[in-house]
Amino acid sequence: MTLPVERQSETTKPVAPAYAAGPLIEIRGLEKRFSTRSGEVVHALSNVNLDIGEHEFISVVGPSGCGKTTLLRILAGLEQGSSGAALVGGEAISAPRPDVSVVFQQATLLPWNNVLDNVLLPVQLRGDKSSASRTRALALLAFMGLGEFAQKYPFELSGGMQQRVAICRALMRDPKILLMDEPFGALDAMTREMLNMELMRLWSEEKKTVVFITHSIPEAVLLGDRVVVMSPRPGRISAILPVDIPRPRNLKTMALPRFGEICHEIRSMFGAELHTEIAL
Amino acid sequence: MSPPALITGHRLQSLALIIGVIGAWELSCRLFEIPPLILPAPHAIAVRFVSLITSGTIWPHLLATLTAVLSGFGAGVVAGIVLGALISLVPAVERLVYPYVVALQTVPKIAIAPLFIIWFGYGVASKVVITALVCFFPVLVSVMAGFHSTDRDQLDMMRAFGATRWQTLVRLRLPSAMVIIFSGLEIAAVMAVIGAIVGEFVGAQQGLGYLITALNFSLDVPGVFAVLIFLSLIGILLHGSVRACSRRFVFWIRREQTPLVR
Repeated sequence: MTLPVERQSETTKPVAPAYAAGPLIEIRGLEKRFSTRSGEVVHALSNVNLDIGEHEFISVVGPSGCGKTTLLRILAGLEQGSSGAALVGGEAISAPRPDVSVVFQQATLLPWNNVLDNVLLPVQLRGDKSSASRTRALALLAFMGLGEFAQKYPFELSGGMQQRVAICRALMRDPKILLMDEPFGALDAMTREMLNMELMRLWSEEKKTVVFITHSIPEAVLLGDRVVVMSPRPGRISAILPVDIPRPRNLKTMALPRFGEICHEIRSMFGAELHTEIAL
Repeated sequence: MSPPALITGHRLQSLALIIGVIGAWELSCRLFEIPPLILPAPHAIAVRFVSLITSGTIWPHLLATLTAVLSGFGAGVVAGIVLGALISLVPAVERLVYPYVVALQTVPKIAIAPLFIIWFGYGVASKVVITALVCFFPVLVSVMAGFHSTDRDQLDMMRAFGATRWQTLVRLRLPSAMVIIFSGLEIAAVMAVIGAIVGEFVGAQQGLGYLITALNFSLDVPGVFAVLIFLSLIGILLHGSVRACSRRFVFWIRREQTPLVR
């Protein structure tokens, strides 16, 4: 623990970078408890505090059961915290917001719709059938290297391509915030690296605020401006590390000594759990 | 071997099997001199099959049964889908109605068939009702299972993109349900023939079921077998049409060709 790491303990005020006009996402003393069938109370999130600035790329890393998915679901408006606050642009999140999009671990494409209709889904749901959206969908697909696949069906695509379609769909309504829940977790290592590169390219062009959940420490460090490290039982933030590696980053970044140092620092925080649950 | 060649190969194999079985049947009938009253030889059945067509005897009966099967199937499917959708979408209907539907289904159809003959007469109407009742339940269960089979992640996805309940129903729940509904339809298609025949056995003046009982009385066993061929043809055709529809409408399901256990 030699690196300058923001430590979170009893203090509720997190140390966050300075923002021009306040953070875009604010999480204050957020708690989430639920009871299981056998009646015991699970503490999924305990006193979570985090400020996320506009255009920031936040990686969240932690073992299974650390509450990272719960945190993302609360930010997405799919679940409510038991106490504390989660705000976007100063407003409490009470339901899914139009300026927040989610990419799930599974691509969750509709198998009976072709790629183009899948990408158009978010705007079709609000009644927009304009040719402008169609053009935008095709442009997004072309940007993600799927230009020729607009008329294909999801089952005709590989897992990596399906996840790219899901990313296009999430970008379709031009959200401010992109929430990604282990989006590449189910893919093989090569595809995963390629999609990491594409995600960085996308982020540098579209400048979204991204909250990216992952099991993989190198992935978290490679992509994030800051890495939020979470621990289980109860689910909490145990550290927030700034990644002081300049951008643009690429696969060579992973060979830098500094990259290795940060990864090692995160790894050492997990202790015994590291060997069982964290992908190295 | 390429897939089409493989399929042709499999077809040839199953064709060879049936030819082998029929050949063995014919041979043993001749060899052991089995009386045609007990087991007629295939050639005798074929002769009777052709004579039923050429004499024109078969047509009114075939038409009656076909009418009962098709309209009964149609009515049962519509009723099953409507009630299944109601039960799935309105929880109160499930609590109120479903226990009675199940109770009604536990009564063997053949046991209540005489009642339907009394209520709906000797004509085609009673057969349609019995067939509809037989088809109704598998469709109902498949519709309910189908609506409950929606993927949770996809439901979350729809919610995250701000879909209304109605949009989620039309764009996600309904198409997801189709996969299981079609397997219910396949079962109903096969059962439809049973329903019609049960009705015709109990009381009718026409239909293949009636023809079978009539031929049985006159000890025309090859004739009975010939009618059985017509019956299975109806079943195969109806089932095949449902399969074709299912391939067309739930095209995204790639049926596994490999065996479950090697």
